[in-house]
Amino acid sequence: MIRIAAVADLHFGEDSAGTYRPHLEELGERADVFLVAGDLTRLGEPAEAAVLAEELADMPVPTFAVLGNHDHHAGRAKEVAKVMESAGVRVLEGEAATANVNGFRVGVAGTKGFGGGFAGASGSEFGEEHMKAFVRHSAEEAAALESALKALEADVRVAVTHYSPVKETLVGEPPEIYPFLGSYLLGEAVDRGGADLALHGHAHRGSERGVTAGRTPVRNVAWPVLDRAYGLFEIDRRAAGIA
Amino acid sequence: MDEATREGRDRLVARLTEALARDHRVGELELEVTLAQDGLTVTGVVPTEERRSAVAEVLAERAPGVAVRNLVEVAGRGEPDAAEELP
Repeated sequence: MIRIAAVADLHFGEDSAGTYRPHLEELGERADVFLVAGDLTRLGEPAEAAVLAEELADMPVPTFAVLGNHDHHAGRAKEVAKVMESAGVRVLEGEAATANVNGFRVGVAGTKGFGGGFAGASGSEFGEEHMKAFVRHSAEEAAALESALKALEADVRVAVTHYSPVKETLVGEPPEIYPFLGSYLLGEAVDRGGADLALHGHAHRGSERGVTAGRTPVRNVAWPVLDRAYGLFEIDRRAAGIA
Repeated sequence: MDEATREGRDRLVARLTEALARDHRVGELELEVTLAQDGLTVTGVVPTEERRSAVAEVLAERAPGVAVRNLVEVAGRGEPDAAEELP
């Protein structure tokens, strides 16, 4: 049994110290890994990340995160990531990592992702350079996720993004902004990469559950959607004995 | 309502939505601001009560004299009752 705790959209500011860690008392006993799907900070300032880093220091389980759009707002995303890493939170930017827990190898592939929309209502790499750059960035993020997933040797593969890979977990948001909340390209990457579970945030007014075209469960773990300190998921696997 | 006559409703709502995202006291992009005859209504979910109060502060500063109905909620903090079992 592999137990995954996850949340997104903590939006930590410099005044957020002590507002979250007290609510994670049982996490160490109930989960094997902790995943944070982006928007770690309020405005992307390293000082905000420092407060969250302190909050998540010495977590009882391996902790992985991806950055979100807020974490890029100040143009200092690399510093934000570095601050989090200094506290032992592994920040995944188009890459993967594994954790050995209870005889299983849990693989986590993460990237921010980007928008672009979903089949039938998505952007094209055409027209102004700004538009092409928008769509190109989404494709690059999806490609990085797929590569990271495929590179994993693990009993369970989890995809973590900030943007959503499916429309279903956006229900509750105005449909007009779906292209700013996720991309079908991420859903394709999740399926081609063989993920067992996809977690994302970003859509505060979205829904918890969805599924990709390839039937991979997708869960929106944005804090406002969960309405609890974290979501908890169990995946039953036998150890595959992967060297 | 002066704001509605001097400034288009859409523009005002967009400006206030952006202010809530950019102001360091709030920093929330996903709050929904609507404008009606009786004033502004803001909905959404924020992490703390302090952040919720800050929403009202920012709107009062940016739209002085406009009534504000703050329906923003604070996200729950309890630990989950049970785990979801996935295939």
